[in-house]
Amino acid sequence: MVAWFMRGLRRGVVTTRYPLAGPEPWVSELPSPPVFDATQLDVDVADALVVVCPSGALRRANQALVYDVGACTACGRCLAAAPQIVRPSGVFELAATAREQLIKHIPLRKSST
Amino acid sequence: MTRTWVREPPVMSDDTAAAAESLRASVRRMFGRSLHIRTIDTGTCAVCEQEIRLLAAPHYDLHRLGFFFTPGPRHADLLMITGPAVRAFDVALRKTLDATPEPKIVLAVGACALGGVYPADPFTHGAVDKVTPVDVYVPGCPPSPMTLLHALMVAVHRLHEKVSTLSFCDGNEP
Repeated sequence: MVAWFMRGLRRGVVTTRYPLAGPEPWVSELPSPPVFDATQLDVDVADALVVVCPSGALRRANQALVYDVGACTACGRCLAAAPQIVRPSGVFELAATAREQLIKHIPLRKSST
Repeated sequence: MTRTWVREPPVMSDDTAAAAESLRASVRRMFGRSLHIRTIDTGTCAVCEQEIRLLAAPHYDLHRLGFFFTPGPRHADLLMITGPAVRAFDVALRKTLDATPEPKIVLAVGACALGGVYPADPFTHGAVDKVTPVDVYVPGCPPSPMTLLHALMVAVHRLHEKVSTLSFCDGNEP
């Protein structure tokens, strides 16, 4: 009680830090950029995902899927197209200080066919 | 003829650049708990603005962290630029950038501003960093207020960015 009262008398101090005690549970339910399962992702699936992406966040460069987090609108179409391979990341701390930090290269599995 | 307002970063020697960067960092620390934000809409669908306004709501309460909104660029330390930088907004954007006193911090907010949604064409530049240097990129369509808060903390060097450590990939061994 006394500690609480003394905290109230402080000046020039923020009331709570960012975020107070970790992110709140619902934050993971916000639309968030997808995570790709590299063990199952092959060239055919990657090409299908590239076609389905409306904002051009995905493209394929030889044996890698190039994923631009900055261009991604988290619309969820790739999640719907390949639910076993793509899952929402739940990450919200996405700010970057350089544009290149947002471009991710995901290695592709060798196609079994 | 279409006028473009591309600003090149100033050319400096290595010594000057390092000194300028350290000065900039110290000014950002100084801004730490009193930073005024001006938002500029360069052709968004207004959902980014909606999320930015939510920052002032009690749930997110950016004022507790020392950030404040200001209606005028002359009082602003940080510009939040949303939208794909439509060319019709070039003059207004340039005036706002010029009116904001140095050192200013520029945030590109949302997938449009990062070049995700609109290509460069006769109507838009396609991305904010084609028009002005950007300090912090905030992905999302729209970015959630938590993402924006994190971006503000990154902008004043109170938190480190995390996204460069994330791979967005399960099981790196194919």
